[in-house]
Amino acid sequence: MTQAIRFSLNGTARELKVPASSRLIDVLRDELDATSSKKACGIGRCGACMVLRNGTPANACLLMMWQVEGADIVTPEGLDAVPDSVFVRQGLTEENAFQCGYCAPGFTVTLTALLRDVASPTEADIREALSGNLCRCTGYHSIIRGALRAADLKQADSRAGAPDSLA
Amino acid sequence: MMEVLHPSTLEEALALAAGDEDTYFVGGGTLVQLDWARGLRLTDRIVSLGRIEGLRDIEARPDHIRIGALTTLATLERHVLVAEKLPMLHTAIKGIAAPSVRGMGTIGGNVGGRRGCLVPVLLALDAQLDVARTGFRQRVSLVDWLAMPRDPDCIIEAVILPALPEPERYAYRKIGLRAAFTPGVIGVAGRIWVSEGRVTNCRLAVGGGVAAMRLFEVEALLTGEVLDAVDWPQAHDALVEAIKGPEDAHRSTRYRRKVAANALVHGLSGRFPGRQVSRSQPAHAPADCLADEIRLGRAVSGERWHVRPDGPAKIAGRLTYLTDVREEGMLVARILRAGVPHARIIDIDTSEAEALPGVAAVVTHRDIKGSNGFGIVVQDQPAMCSDKVRYVGDAVAAVAAVNAEVAALALTRIKVCYEPLPVVTDAERALDPGTEAVHSSGNLQSELHFERGDVAEAFADAAHVIEAEYNTPRQMHGFMETEGGYAFVDDAGMLNVCAGGQHGRRDQMQLSRILDLPLEKIRVVSSPTGGAFGGKDELTVQPALALLALKTGKQVRIQLERAESVAAGTKSSPMRIRMRTACDAKGRLVAQQVDLLADAGAYASLSPAVVETALEHACGPYDVPSVRSHARLAYTNNGTCGALRGFGCNQMSYAVECQVDRLAAACGLDPVEFRARNLRKAGTRGYLGQAVAPTERLNEMLAAAAADPIWKKPRGISADGAEYIGVGMGMNYQGNGLGTLPPDPGGGELRLAPDGMIEAAYGLDELGQGLLAAIRNTVAAELGCGYADIRPLAGDTAKAPESGSTTASRGTYVVWRVAREAAPRLAEELVAAAARLLGRAPDSLVVVPGGVAERASNSGELLISFGDLAKALAPHELPRAETKFDFPTSDYFQGNARLIFAFGATLARVAVDRVTGQVRVLDVSQHTAAGPVLDHAAYLGQIEGASVQGVGFTTMEDAVLLEGEYLTWNLDTYMIPSIRDAPQSMAVFALEGLEADDAFGPRGVGELGIGAVTPAIANAVADAIGFWPERAPIEPERILDALERAS
Repeated sequence: MTQAIRFSLNGTARELKVPASSRLIDVLRDELDATSSKKACGIGRCGACMVLRNGTPANACLLMMWQVEGADIVTPEGLDAVPDSVFVRQGLTEENAFQCGYCAPGFTVTLTALLRDVASPTEADIREALSGNLCRCTGYHSIIRGALRAADLKQADSRAGAPDSLA
Repeated sequence: MMEVLHPSTLEEALALAAGDEDTYFVGGGTLVQLDWARGLRLTDRIVSLGRIEGLRDIEARPDHIRIGALTTLATLERHVLVAEKLPMLHTAIKGIAAPSVRGMGTIGGNVGGRRGCLVPVLLALDAQLDVARTGFRQRVSLVDWLAMPRDPDCIIEAVILPALPEPERYAYRKIGLRAAFTPGVIGVAGRIWVSEGRVTNCRLAVGGGVAAMRLFEVEALLTGEVLDAVDWPQAHDALVEAIKGPEDAHRSTRYRRKVAANALVHGLSGRFPGRQVSRSQPAHAPADCLADEIRLGRAVSGERWHVRPDGPAKIAGRLTYLTDVREEGMLVARILRAGVPHARIIDIDTSEAEALPGVAAVVTHRDIKGSNGFGIVVQDQPAMCSDKVRYVGDAVAAVAAVNAEVAALALTRIKVCYEPLPVVTDAERALDPGTEAVHSSGNLQSELHFERGDVAEAFADAAHVIEAEYNTPRQMHGFMETEGGYAFVDDAGMLNVCAGGQHGRRDQMQLSRILDLPLEKIRVVSSPTGGAFGGKDELTVQPALALLALKTGKQVRIQLERAESVAAGTKSSPMRIRMRTACDAKGRLVAQQVDLLADAGAYASLSPAVVETALEHACGPYDVPSVRSHARLAYTNNGTCGALRGFGCNQMSYAVECQVDRLAAACGLDPVEFRARNLRKAGTRGYLGQAVAPTERLNEMLAAAAADPIWKKPRGISADGAEYIGVGMGMNYQGNGLGTLPPDPGGGELRLAPDGMIEAAYGLDELGQGLLAAIRNTVAAELGCGYADIRPLAGDTAKAPESGSTTASRGTYVVWRVAREAAPRLAEELVAAAARLLGRAPDSLVVVPGGVAERASNSGELLISFGDLAKALAPHELPRAETKFDFPTSDYFQGNARLIFAFGATLARVAVDRVTGQVRVLDVSQHTAAGPVLDHAAYLGQIEGASVQGVGFTTMEDAVLLEGEYLTWNLDTYMIPSIRDAPQSMAVFALEGLEADDAFGPRGVGELGIGAVTPAIANAVADAIGFWPERAPIEPERILDALERAS
C-alpha cells in the first residue's frame, strides 16, 4: 500500500508516496538519488547504509518506511550539520583510514555518534561501537587509528575552546 | 503490495490478525526482514505493535521484573536493573548483533523467534511470558510456551523475570563463528544454588542457534550433590547426551553438543576439557633488530605520510561510485540467474516479460551477435546461456525496466524450461570416468607436471619425512561494493560500459568479441570501484549491461544484491594439497612431492593460472634438490572460481611453511634455524630454473622475523588459564606480474591538460589500493612538480592508454616505470615550451611545483605557471609523453615463470580457546621487502588489509555449497572478520633497498600481505598446542579433538 510518509531528511522535511514496506536504503538510493548511503548486504550485517535515526545509528536497510514516519534521518552527506563529524572526518582523513571507501560513509556515521556520546573513547569503545560496520580493505587498524585521532582532535579543540578551528 | 497496520491496542491487533495466516506481528522488524530476504516468508500484511501502549515499559516489583516485549535490546542493555541485577542477561544482550541492530531489535522478537540468543538465558532465569490471544491473556512459563506449537495469533506482551535468590554460580556463553555480530552456533546458560555445600537447585539451558531447551535430566543429576564432589566428567557426558543441535554449513551436531557441555562445565566448575598442554618446542630466542627496516604509520612515517587524493571525498560520502550514478530516464536492469546448478535448457520464453508494462527490453543469448563466450584464459563461459547452465549463478537472461520493482517482476515472467542434469559437486569425483561432464571437453580443465632430481632416491635416503594433506577454503572476495554500474550509447554511437573492473582494455576486448563491435566503438570505465581483490578481474555485469544499452538505446544501470553477487561471482578455488617433504639429518631439505587438486567450479576464468602459480611456489623460498609436482584442476557445478588475492601462492605457502615447521620439530631445530639452512641463495636461478631479478631479501626477512619482539610476548597458558598462546611464522615469497606466458603489456601517458594540470593517465584501476596516491607521488617526484599539480587518471579506456591489468601485484611497477620513462621527456617538453614563450634558453629552466622556474634560482619563484603555459599553447601544442613496454619477464617458457619477486616474513601470535577450540589472532607482525615504498599509507594499508583477509581465510571464511547451492548466501552466514576479530596489534615493516644492478624498481604489495598469514597462524597453533591444523578455515572441532587426544 502506497501512503505518504513524512520524515526529516538531513534537516529538510520530506513527504513521499512510497510503499510502507519499502526500505529506507532503497528509497534513499533509488527515489531520492541520495547515494552516500551504500548498500552492501541489504540485511543489516555490514553497516554500509548506516544513518542516524533520531540521533542513533541505524541500518537504513533494516528500516521500512513506516518505521521512518516522523523520524529525523541524517545520512552521511547530512553529517555536515553534526559538529562532531568535523573531527571524525579529519581524523579518518589524516590516518588514510579507508581504501576503496565504500564502507567509509557508514563508519563515519557510527563514529560521529560515538564521539558525540563519549568524550574520549578508548580503543575498546571504538571496537564495540563499530562491531556492526564491516570493512574488507583495511583490516580495521587504520580506522581505529583514525577514530583515536578524531578523539584527540576533539580534545584539543575543546581545550582550545575554538569549536571551528578545524573548519 | 504489502499493507502495514498500526493498531493502538492488543485487542485491535489480535482482531486484525484473526484467521489470517499471512499476517505477521512486528516489533523492531529486524527478524521479519531477514526472513523475507531469505525468501522464507512473504506476507501481505504486517501488524506493527509499535503504537500499542505499555509494551515498552520496564516495571520492577519486589518479586519480579516485567519487561515489555517491545523494549529494545539497546534499552535493556543500558537499563540499570539489567546491568546490576541481571549480569547474565546483560552479557547476553551485548553479544547480540551490533549496537545499531540492538537499537531496533526487541526482547519480544528475540524470544518470539525461539532461536534468539536470549532464550537460554531467560530459561535459566525462569522467565515467564505474558501472552495475549483473542479473548484472553495468560501468563505462561517460557519452558511451557516453547513446548507449545507455534501460534501465529499470539502476541508476547512482556517477559517476566521472577526474583530468585542469588545463585552460588552462574554461567553464560554464546559460541559463534567470530568475535562479534555472529550467528549463534549454540548458547548456554546455567545457574546453581547451594546450601550447606549441597546443590539445592539448578538451571541448565541451551539455545541460540539450536532449538532452546532446559536440560532437566542433567539438572536432576546435579541437584542434591555435594558441590565439591560433583562428578563433572560424568555431568559432561550427560550434557553431551542431552543436548540436541543441528548440523549446518559451519559446525557439526557433535561440535555443538561438545562445546555446549564444555562451556557449561567450565562456567559452573572452572574445569577445562582436555589435557593440560605443556610445550615441548624450544622457544625461539629473538635476535637483534634489523636496522634498515622502517616501520610504517603516520606517527613514524613523517614526511613520507600523505593524505590520499580520494580520501576526503570517500569519507564525506561525496565520491560517486559507478553504482551511484543516477540520471533522468535511466533504466534499471536485473539478470536472471540459473538458480539450478546443472541443467539443459529446453526453452527460454521471454514474451510475458516483454509484454509487462514498464519493461524496455529483455535480452538472451539470441541477442548476442558475436561469440557467446568469455574468460580471461579460455572463453568457456557464456555471456547468456543458450543450451546449458553449469552453476546457480549462470546468466540466462536480463531485463531493463523503468524501475527495480518492475525489473524484479519481469524476471519472474521469464519462463525457462530446464532438464536437470546430475550435479557434479566434488573435484575428485568429477575426474572419475563416467561422471557427468560439465563441459563437453571433459571435467579435467588442466593438468600440470614438473619434476627435477631423483625424488624416489631422495625420500629413501631422507632422515625425516613429513606427509600431510592441507585443504583450503572457497574464499569469497567480499568486496563491499557488489558488482554493478551503468551503460549507454552516446551521441557519437560509442557504447559506454561503466562498471567496476581490474583491466578496462581487456573488458573492452572481451565485450568486443561478445557484441561483435569494433574496439573503437566501446569505451570501458572501470573505476573507482569499491574493492575487487581479484573478484572483478573477470567480466561480471558488463555483458548484460552492454546488451541492454544497445537494445534499448537508453542508459541502463545495475547493482547486484549481495545474494546474487555470492551466487554469480567467482571465488578462490578450494585446493587439496598433498605434500610429502623430506630433510636429511642436518635439517637440509632434500625432497618435495606435491599433489594438488583444485575445484574450478563451472568455468575456468583464471583458475588455470592460479593452479600454475601455486605449483610455481611449490617449494616456497627454499632450495630443494628433488621435486615432483602434479596438479589437476577439475570442472564442477560448485559455483565458479577465479582470481583472488594471493592467487594460489598463499594456499601453497600454507602447506610449505607448515611442512617446514614440522620438519624443524622433527629435527629438534628452532624453526628460524631450520629455515636459515634451507633458504634459496641470492644470485641463483629461480625454482623453475628461470632467471630472476637480482634483489633477494630472504635472509634479511628471516633475520627480521628472528628479531621480532612478538617472540618475547607471553606464550603458553594464559593468565586466566582459558587459552593456550603460541607464536608462529611463515616466509613470504611472491612472484609479481603475469609471468612468461601471457601477454603483459604496460604503459601510460603524462600530459599537460588545457586547465594546467599535469595529467598522469594510466589504464590501471583504483580499487581502493591507493593507485591514485602512488601515481601522484611518483610522477611528481620524477617530474619535479608538486603533488597538487598532478591529476591522476585511471580506469577509463577513453582517457588512458593500455597499462595492463591491475592484478598480480603489477600496478606498482607500471606506475613507477611510466613515471621514470615519461616524466623526463615531459619535463623536457614543458621546459622547451616555456623557453619558447619566455624567450629563454631551455637549459636555464626547470620544472618546479606549480610551473617552470629558473634553474639557478633558489627562490622557487615561478617564471610561468602550468596554467599560464597551458593557456598560451594551442591544444595540439600541449606537451605530452607516452611510453609503452612489456612487463619484464624471465627466460623460461616451458611453464609460466616469474622474474620479479617480493619477500617477507609473517609472524602471528594466537590464543587457542580450551573450551571452544576457537583460534583468536592476537598479534600480527609483517616484515616485507618490496623495494622502494611509493606511498607509505597505501603500502601499509595493503599489508594490514591483506593480513586480516588472511585471518579470515584461516579462521572463518568458506563459501559452503550443498548440491551446487550456496548455504552461505550473504554476510550473515559468510563470515568476514569484524573489527573485533582484527588482531590487537599489527606491525608492518618495510626494507626498501634494491641491488645496484636491479632495474625493476618497486615491487607490488597487493598480495604480499596475505601470502604467509595462514601458515604463521597454523604454526602458532602448533606452538600453542602441538597440533598443526591441516584445514583452513581452522575447525574448532579438530582443535578440541586434538586437546582431548593427549589427555
